[in-house]
Amino acid sequence: MNPVIQTDKLSKWYGNVLGLSDVSIKIEAGITGLLGPNGAGKSTFMKLMTGQLKPNIGKVLIQGEKVRNNSKLFSRMGYCPEYDVFYDELTGWQFITGMLKLYHFSSPDVEKKARKAMEIVELMQDKDRVIRSYSRGMRQRLKFAQAIAHEPEILLLDEPLNGLDPLGRRKLIQLIKTYRDEGKSIIVSSHVLPEIEVLTNKIVLIHQGKIFAQGDIHYIRDLIENHPHMISIICSNRRKLASKFIKEEYVLKVEFGKVKNRVTIETNDRDKFFSSLPSILMNNDIEVEEITSPDDNLQAVFDYIIGK
Amino acid sequence: MEHTDTGRLKFYLTSIKQVFSFFFSLGKQARKTKAFYLLSFLPVLISFVIKFALIFSEHRDIQGIYIFTNIIMAFYLQFLILVLALFFGTSVCSEEVEGKNLTYLVTRPIPKMSIILGKYAAYTLLTIFMTVVGVVISFVILNLGDLLDFSLYKILLKDIAVLSLGLMCYMAFFTFFGTFLKKSIMFGLIFSFGWENVIQYFPGSTQRFAIAHYLKSLLPAPTTGRFAFLIFRLEPTSPAMSVFMLFLITVVFLALACLLFSYKEYILED
Repeated sequence: MNPVIQTDKLSKWYGNVLGLSDVSIKIEAGITGLLGPNGAGKSTFMKLMTGQLKPNIGKVLIQGEKVRNNSKLFSRMGYCPEYDVFYDELTGWQFITGMLKLYHFSSPDVEKKARKAMEIVELMQDKDRVIRSYSRGMRQRLKFAQAIAHEPEILLLDEPLNGLDPLGRRKLIQLIKTYRDEGKSIIVSSHVLPEIEVLTNKIVLIHQGKIFAQGDIHYIRDLIENHPHMISIICSNRRKLASKFIKEEYVLKVEFGKVKNRVTIETNDRDKFFSSLPSILMNNDIEVEEITSPDDNLQAVFDYIIGK
Repeated sequence: MEHTDTGRLKFYLTSIKQVFSFFFSLGKQARKTKAFYLLSFLPVLISFVIKFALIFSEHRDIQGIYIFTNIIMAFYLQFLILVLALFFGTSVCSEEVEGKNLTYLVTRPIPKMSIILGKYAAYTLLTIFMTVVGVVISFVILNLGDLLDFSLYKILLKDIAVLSLGLMCYMAFFTFFGTFLKKSIMFGLIFSFGWENVIQYFPGSTQRFAIAHYLKSLLPAPTTGRFAFLIFRLEPTSPAMSVFMLFLITVVFLALACLLFSYKEYILED
């Protein structure tokens, strides 16, 4: 499959400050999450992908074409910026139609597409209000509407869920998934792990301007296999269980914590731990209520990889 | 090939038109426009006060067109069009960068030069409209008794044309500096009220480095009166050459602005 977005040794500095360093990745169709803390370089990456910034080194290709000053490419791309900025004196409708006109659509098409986009983000009722009077959530939805109104093949969404209430967040997540199902390519950046986690398991971890890892959650998990791994067990006799495991070489730490009957075991060999667990439980007559892996989510992966 | 070139030209022109229509409509609603409308109506107020004062003064024989010409010279040519061009011209680019709305424009399928040209055209038309309304009302107030003298309308039209040319030229100049400099307003103030006001009075060829020189060369020189010094010039340029120079300055600075805007990287600061 041809990559939708391809970067080669992409680097960007702002004077002496590193924005992005030596990023060579290929992003394919579907949803890709660009994940990293604030200031990691996500927005710089987004701006390089949309041609707003010039790379100092390297190149970025979208569908095989260079981006910067390639205006025609933007009819296939939709971009939702991170900034909460608008032409505040305009109404939501004037803004959307004004932006759509820049795609050279005919007037009836502009009207039709604007209506559709405003309906999708549920702003039709407020379309004639000036943007200045919109709430943060409404502004965020309007920003999303301008990115999807021209029905692009590629969507670049920079922190699109910021400022949305839980309901709005859920609706937008659902909407992004609908676009994925339609075969569109979507890149979503966020510093909030659960947001990305519910959208996709195809992630790019970015920190201090560098790509730490790229792939699905399992691939990322493999990358950190040698790192300590936490397993939390709620059982009938946690002290007995702990005493059995503490002798094993692959167990690094045992913690009881505050939760009743819970023991958390840190291991550097997840496979060995899980292969010996059933026999230990059976031989010692320990009943298990729950086994969880507190770090088996993106937050943990992310924390491990960036070394927090 | 010809077909491709025609198509490309059409694409460019349509892009400019769309940007123009967006910013013309936005400009009409902007608070800044309303504030400058008030400023542009200041001469109307002055004209009204003068007319009222003249009714009760001993100098009732002073012609309205004489006062009108002095207002054009002192207020419009030396002040208003410079201020309007400075604030609207520099904002063609800088308000997009400072307001971070640039991100919406540069991610649309339009050439970057069309953003500059379309917005420049929208703002130039707006400022011309602002100026002309005030000029016409001032003219009517000051020439109330002579409105049937059609020769006066020739003067009015000429003044409007010169002011429009001035706005077109200054706007292009400040548009370029708005794309080039971060603190373009400061530079513009120094240029408008420093350079332009000083250099035009230098003898020899030096005065030709001021846009005001070409504008004043297009207007008749009052030989008497309080504001005669404002039109003082040693070597006026011929009207045809003045118009040519004003167009040339406009084209050169607009081309530079488009070129710079297309290749310069604007970093939207947090």
